[in-house]
This record gives sequence, C-alpha cells and structure tokens, in this order.
Amino acid sequence: MANNSISQFLRTLSAGDRMLLKALSSCALATLALGVVFGLITALIRTGYAGAEPQTGYRMMTGHGVTVFFYWLYFAQMALLMALSAAQTRGRARVALAPAAWAGLLLMVLGFAASQTGSWTGTPLLYDGSPDLVGENRWQAGVFYSGYVLLASGLFLLSVSAVGTAIAAKAGPDQRVWSTIGFAVVAWAGLVMVSSLATLNTFLPAAAWAFGWGQVPTSHSTGWHLLFHNLHYLPLMGTVIIWYALVQEMTGVSSIFGRRFSKGIFTLYLVFVPPTSLYHMFLEPDLSPVLRGLGSLLSLLISVPTIAVFLVIVSSLEANARARGARGLFGWLRMLPWQEPAMAAIGMAAVNLALGGIFAFVLIQEQLAPLLSDTFFIPAYFHFLTVGTVTLTLLAAFAWSMPAIFGRPLWAPRLLRLLPYGLTLGLAMFGAAGMSAGLTGMPRRVLDATYDGTAPDLWSAMSPIIALGAVIMTFSLLLYVVLLVGSALGAGRREGAPEPAAPILASTEGAAVRQKAWTAPLCVLVLIIGMYAATILAFSLLRALPLATAAAGVH
Amino acid sequence: MTEDSVLIGLVSLVWIALAALYAFEPMFAMPGSAIVWGSGAAVFLALAAITAIAERRLRQAGKRDR
Repeated sequence: MANNSISQFLRTLSAGDRMLLKALSSCALATLALGVVFGLITALIRTGYAGAEPQTGYRMMTGHGVTVFFYWLYFAQMALLMALSAAQTRGRARVALAPAAWAGLLLMVLGFAASQTGSWTGTPLLYDGSPDLVGENRWQAGVFYSGYVLLASGLFLLSVSAVGTAIAAKAGPDQRVWSTIGFAVVAWAGLVMVSSLATLNTFLPAAAWAFGWGQVPTSHSTGWHLLFHNLHYLPLMGTVIIWYALVQEMTGVSSIFGRRFSKGIFTLYLVFVPPTSLYHMFLEPDLSPVLRGLGSLLSLLISVPTIAVFLVIVSSLEANARARGARGLFGWLRMLPWQEPAMAAIGMAAVNLALGGIFAFVLIQEQLAPLLSDTFFIPAYFHFLTVGTVTLTLLAAFAWSMPAIFGRPLWAPRLLRLLPYGLTLGLAMFGAAGMSAGLTGMPRRVLDATYDGTAPDLWSAMSPIIALGAVIMTFSLLLYVVLLVGSALGAGRREGAPEPAAPILASTEGAAVRQKAWTAPLCVLVLIIGMYAATILAFSLLRALPLATAAAGVH
Repeated sequence: MTEDSVLIGLVSLVWIALAALYAFEPMFAMPGSAIVWGSGAAVFLALAAITAIAERRLRQAGKRDR
C-alpha cells in the first residue's frame, strides 16, 4: 500500500476519532440490514407471497423507504465523508470539531428512533410524510417528522466537522491547495448542508402543525420535491467521489486531465443542482407550459457531471494501462485489480449506473413523466441507482476502509468479490420485470395489484420474477452486512493479515497522456443510443395500451 | 485565493442568481424555492469565505516563518 494512501492515514487517526468512524459505520450497516428486511417483506406482500393487514403492509413500505433511503444512505455517507476528510490531514490525521461530529451522530441516532416510533405507532406516511395522510394520529406524525428534523440537524453538524477537518488540512506542508478529493469532500459536505436545510424547510412546518403549534403546511409537496431533488444528486455525488478516491487508492492512477479540471467537474454538480430541479414539478397541475418545456431541456443536463467524472476516471485508467503495455480495445480492463472486493463492486456499480441512467432518461421526459410516475416503473428503475449504484459503492468503500478503521482484515474477501454480481442479478430481475409491468400500468404504492383477477396477465406473470429478484438482492445485501460486521469483529483474523494493495497501474504522467483512450467515449455513445432506444420502446409500449383510446376522450 | 475558494465562490454566485430568479420572477414562483436555493447560496458563500480566510492566514503565517 502506498505510504500516502487514504487507508494508511486512517490507521493513524486517534482512538477517539476512529471510534467516531466505527460508530457511524456500525449505524450504517445496522440500518441497511433492517431496511432491506423491511423491503423484502414489502416485496413479498406486494407480489402475493406473504399476507398482511394493509396497515402492516404500509408500515413495512414506510419502514423500508425511511430506513434505507434516509438512514442507511446518510449514516454511510457521513462515515465516508468524515473518513475522506480526516485522511486529507495527512501525517497528523484528525477530525476537527469532534464534539460537533459526535453531537451530529447522536442527533441522527435520535432521529432514527423517532422516525421508527412515528412509523410504527401512527399512520404509515411513507417516506415523503404527506400531512394529508395523518388523520387522527397527529402526535405520532409529529414524532415521525421530528425524526427528519433531528436527522437534518445531525447531518449539518457532521458536515461542519468535515469542512473544518478539510480546512485544517490546508495548514499541512504542501497542502495550501486541496487535493481533488479534499476539494470534492468540501463540495459534498456543502451539498449535505443545503439538503439538511431543505429537510428542515419541508418537515419543520409539518412537525409544528402535527404538535399543534402551527397551521397546516400548504406547500409540503413543493418542499418535498425540492428536498427530493437534492436527495437524488447528493448520493450520486458521493458515489463518484468515492469512485475517484478508491480507484486512486487501488491503482495509484489519478486524473490525466489534471487536478484543476477534476475539481471543475465536481463543481459542475453544484452548478447543475438548482436549475435541473424543475422536472420534479412536472406533476404539479399549475406549472406553466413554458416551465415544463424549460424543465425538460434542463433535465438533459442532470447526468452531465456524472458522465464527466466517469470519463475522467475511465480515460485515466485506460491511458495509464496502455502506457504500461495493455493492448486491444478492452485489454486494459484485465489490468485492473479485480481481486479487490471494492473493485468488483465499483465495476458493477458503473454497469448499474448506466442502466439506471438510461431508464431515468425515459422517466424525466415531460410527456412520459405524468404517465409513469405512479407506476411500478419508478421503484423498478430507481433501485438500479439506489441499490445497484449508490449502495454497492458505499459497501465497496466500507470493504476498503473498515480494515483500516477497525484494524482487522476482511473476512472472506473471495465471497465479498462475488456479491456484487449476485446483487446485480437480483436487481436485473427485479428491475426488468418491474419496469415491464410498470410500462403497462401496474401501480406502485399498492399492496395488492390483482384487482380481483381483472389485472392484466402480464402483471401476475411478472410478480414471481419481482419477488425472486427482491429475495436475491436482500440476501446479497445481508451477506455483505454479515461479512463486514464479521470483519469488524475479527472473524477474518485467521486468514492472516491483509495483503496491502500496491498501486498497480500508475505510469509516468507523460507516458499516459500520449495514449489513446477511447473506451469511455464509446461507453457514453452506447449510453446515448440506449437512452434513445429505451425512449422509443417506452413510447411504443404506451401507445399500444388500450388506455390510449380512453385517454382521448378525457379533458 | 486559490482555485478552491474561487470555485466554491463561483457556485455561490450561481445559486444566488437562481435564488433571485425564483424569488422575483413570477413564472418561477414556487413556495420555498427561493428559501432553499437562497440558503444554499449562503452556505456556499460562507464556505468560500472561510476557505479564502484560511488560505490568507496560512499564506501570512508562511511569510512570517520565512
């Protein structure tokens, strides 16, 4: 392992700082395990393989969404944000403003407890917590909303600590200018802060109303859309930052385009967040036609930063591999460190991101969004992003960082290498079957879509595949958690000390930039063709529905 | 100032412009938009300022050391 690697710096953290990272990582894995169990039960109820009262079914659905989308993703992101920022302080790694970070963690834990209490004692509000559903269970809803308020406050404090840590890093020798990762960490922390404020903007009025201290929040839906837009970008931004950091760790390759260019690409995320938010408003009935058109145009920009980071990483890897003798269009891929569990996970995360990106492009079009937004197409496609891309990347980062943080080697690394493929198989089954059913109108957020036997045959044909896909995904994720927790507890000790990964690909900068690296642009070309093909397919399927005839008479 | 504070400052300018658009252009009026993007602009402005101040102090400290 290179002496200046992130994992090397993490090993030099004080016991107290490592305890913070251990606590955040543990909370993340616990919430992932709980959330995916809720998800599996929801899927089994939804597909008819488990029976439950509607109240219980919707509680499972709420528990799944809240636990995974809010708590797993944010405990995990905070663990990795803090780890990456602490590693920037180089030889004297430490967490700045540690009391704020600990207070943030405590608030997040309290928020989790409040969200669960509200979900399991009151009306299940689903993860957007619409006040319209609260009914008589006002105080329970207040507790549920308070969970989000506490979560947002905790995230803000942790981000302040991460920024403080990065600022402190500037005092180090030759550190006046941040590394690309140091800069990206601050940009990421900034977006977490903004998202925390958007959460407070949405859920503070709802909490005040639920406890009887305020009026009914009339703009909850708009506030949720604004927050939700940030919550789309934030984990994706974290994902590509982790890709950039881990690829550099495992291969020794940094951007052939230079530090400033890479920082500019990460800046693009923040520049594109506000203007691309309009497409979330497509279902608002009073949105002007001009804004609808503008929103459609701006939505084209949403994938630009992610594609740009992909181009930087893949082109840099390919150029360095070619400089070290790789031949053939894809020969360079064989030189990547696939023996590392994190590399296998990142590889499959990139594949899943491409699939998720293609289907997201179908959804965000102004003409298709209203038709698909309440169908099973939505959960089917977004799992490619939330599970296949973001979760897999976060787990890759844990597989890389936990041996350094806990001081113990990975348990069963060969099995960990295989899990991303199993997870992707389950995801592909769940996604393909779910999107097929969704394109023919199967609704989301219902527990029984049989409609007393009058539902289309395709829906019942797809249900077993959706259920099996959910089972495979769940067991892959639970196995990930077991292996990572086992590693933290020392189960991997008998297999010997971890073999440090050497930076295997880095060549001299001059040699790398002289190479031709066409794989990444080719991938983007394939992605664009895929987007157009998926759009044409979606329109064809929707036009073939008998609903089209009925819709013609609707005013 | 280094590229770090300049880039973060650039982000805050974009967010300020968009917050103003949401606040003052009736066609874009959506409840809460100006507050969310405006508070975001304030966050990035503060980050840019803190970064620039830290860089300036470090440069002055470096000069004193020499």
